[in-house]
Amino acid sequence: MNRRRALKIVGGGIASLFLLLLPVLLPEVDVHLATEILIFALFAVSFNLLLGYCGLLPFGHAACFGVGAYATALIFKHITGMPFLITLLISALSGFVGALIIGFFCVRLSGSYFALISLAFQMFLYAVALKWRDVTNGDDGMGVTRPDLYLPGLGTLSLMNIQYLYYVTLVIVALAILACYLFLKTPLGHAAVSMRENVIRASFLGYNVFLTRLAIFSFSGFLAGISGALFVVFEEFVATTVMDVHMSFTVILMATIGGTGHFLGPVLGAVFLMVFQDWISSLTKHWWLFMGIVFVMVVLYAEGGLIGLFKWEKIRALFVSEKES
Amino acid sequence: MDTYIIQAIHGLVYGMLLFLVSSGLTLVFGMMGVLNLAHAAFYMLGAYFAYTITVHLGNFWLSLILAPLIVGTVGIGIEHFTLRKVHKSGHVAELLLTFGLFYVFGELVRIIWGSNPLRIPVPALLAGEIPLMGTTYPIYRTFILGFSFLILIGMALLLLRTRIGIIIRAAVSDADMVDVLGTNVPRVFMGVFGGGAALAALAGVIAAPFLSTYPGMGLDVLLDCFVVIVVGGFGSLLGAFVTSLMLGELQSFGVLWIPRLALVFQFLLMAVVLIVRPTGLFGEKQ
Repeated sequence: MNRRRALKIVGGGIASLFLLLLPVLLPEVDVHLATEILIFALFAVSFNLLLGYCGLLPFGHAACFGVGAYATALIFKHITGMPFLITLLISALSGFVGALIIGFFCVRLSGSYFALISLAFQMFLYAVALKWRDVTNGDDGMGVTRPDLYLPGLGTLSLMNIQYLYYVTLVIVALAILACYLFLKTPLGHAAVSMRENVIRASFLGYNVFLTRLAIFSFSGFLAGISGALFVVFEEFVATTVMDVHMSFTVILMATIGGTGHFLGPVLGAVFLMVFQDWISSLTKHWWLFMGIVFVMVVLYAEGGLIGLFKWEKIRALFVSEKES
Repeated sequence: MDTYIIQAIHGLVYGMLLFLVSSGLTLVFGMMGVLNLAHAAFYMLGAYFAYTITVHLGNFWLSLILAPLIVGTVGIGIEHFTLRKVHKSGHVAELLLTFGLFYVFGELVRIIWGSNPLRIPVPALLAGEIPLMGTTYPIYRTFILGFSFLILIGMALLLLRTRIGIIIRAAVSDADMVDVLGTNVPRVFMGVFGGGAALAALAGVIAAPFLSTYPGMGLDVLLDCFVVIVVGGFGSLLGAFVTSLMLGELQSFGVLWIPRLALVFQFLLMAVVLIVRPTGLFGEKQ
């Protein structure tokens, strides 16, 4: 298995190098796209904590994304001079608290019940954001000025510069995804997986199903809150679209197309969906049809998602001839 | 006072339409545990077929028969060629599949009929208004009311008085047991799936001249249907009936009294019911 490890290190190295040099290599319009992909990659990873690792399918995951987004927008609107990183932390914490409250009611249920109650909460928040115009300005939305980021030693970076914004997003998303990866290696993460496999056996072994799932759900909300906050800074705008059903559905598409069985599957899904959307929307305005067909095909014929097509055994077969193996 | 009565009838009309759509959804869920998101697409297809048939054949009444037949066949095809294949992968895969199909149908409708709302004229026989409570009321809406009550009675007779109805109800309560007793449950399920699709299409046809026909209509009715089957209880027809009427009235009076909160209230109702009584008001099993 040493070759496998080597392949991982080489692959990871090339990918990191590419991500670091991307603003130099690609024109500005692609840097915009890459920034958006990073944000959605984090959102999809947070979603897959629930679908892939807990076996719970939330139809309303945009609720946490939207809470983080609105928190950022409201802070920038009402408190001038609030540092960017503190705003980000507060937004993430609001996503966390939102998920804690929603999760308290959701995680007792599973399957379609879980999917629907999470959708009910998302629709409830959506309706509040739509109707509470004094605070949110409804579906007209609010403009947000991108803040400056003060870094000790480096001075002040203006996030109006897309390259700076790209690097800041890259660092935050990479740290968040790393945190998520390490989180899954803890006993708590393993317990969640054991409950996905057999919830009755896990509870007989003494694990508290409710608390474990609530913890994962809240952590997922925390990450979704970060991605929502980054999305608002990127778009310089927030409206009810950040927590409507399409946002919830987009993240389902990303995670499932990429593959829920692998940690990086949703990341691949986010890359695929955004690039595919970017490419095909220049050809036809009915790109949702093709997206939907790809999705149905993946569900029907490629259960592991796109990343399941790149199994180690298949890659190995390319390099090692039949005799050797 | 008159306003209230008119508003109550409005609510009743929408409630009955909602019941036609959600009854198929709740039966399918009760039998197989599949929450079929594509169901709302069947409703939408019904409305669009009604438009095409009315425009090209010039006869609205024909679409009342043809559209449910076509959509029912589509439904059977979907069940047979896609849904059955992912059944072994569990409910999450089924949810995802019907979710994808919902998107595909939504976009197909946009390609074939365009994104603009379409209007179907009310058939000449039912155009005009009748005097009611000192004001007038459109005849077509009373037709919707009467027609959907007829369908309701037909459905009740089918489910309560025929052998196939007994099998369906038994399968809702315990599909495995019915299967073991020698009934071909997958085939019955296919029939119920197709029947539910046809019923949703029928609702779409009669809704078409009353509400306008647009690509977002599927999603709108889907969200309402979720509320209905959750509050009424998964798999319970009685629950679906009572909740549909409740929701119709809730929306009708909500718009009148608290327009700002009407949308919030129905999802709050759904969340509260799921928290307090996850089986819904009339549901028995979880």
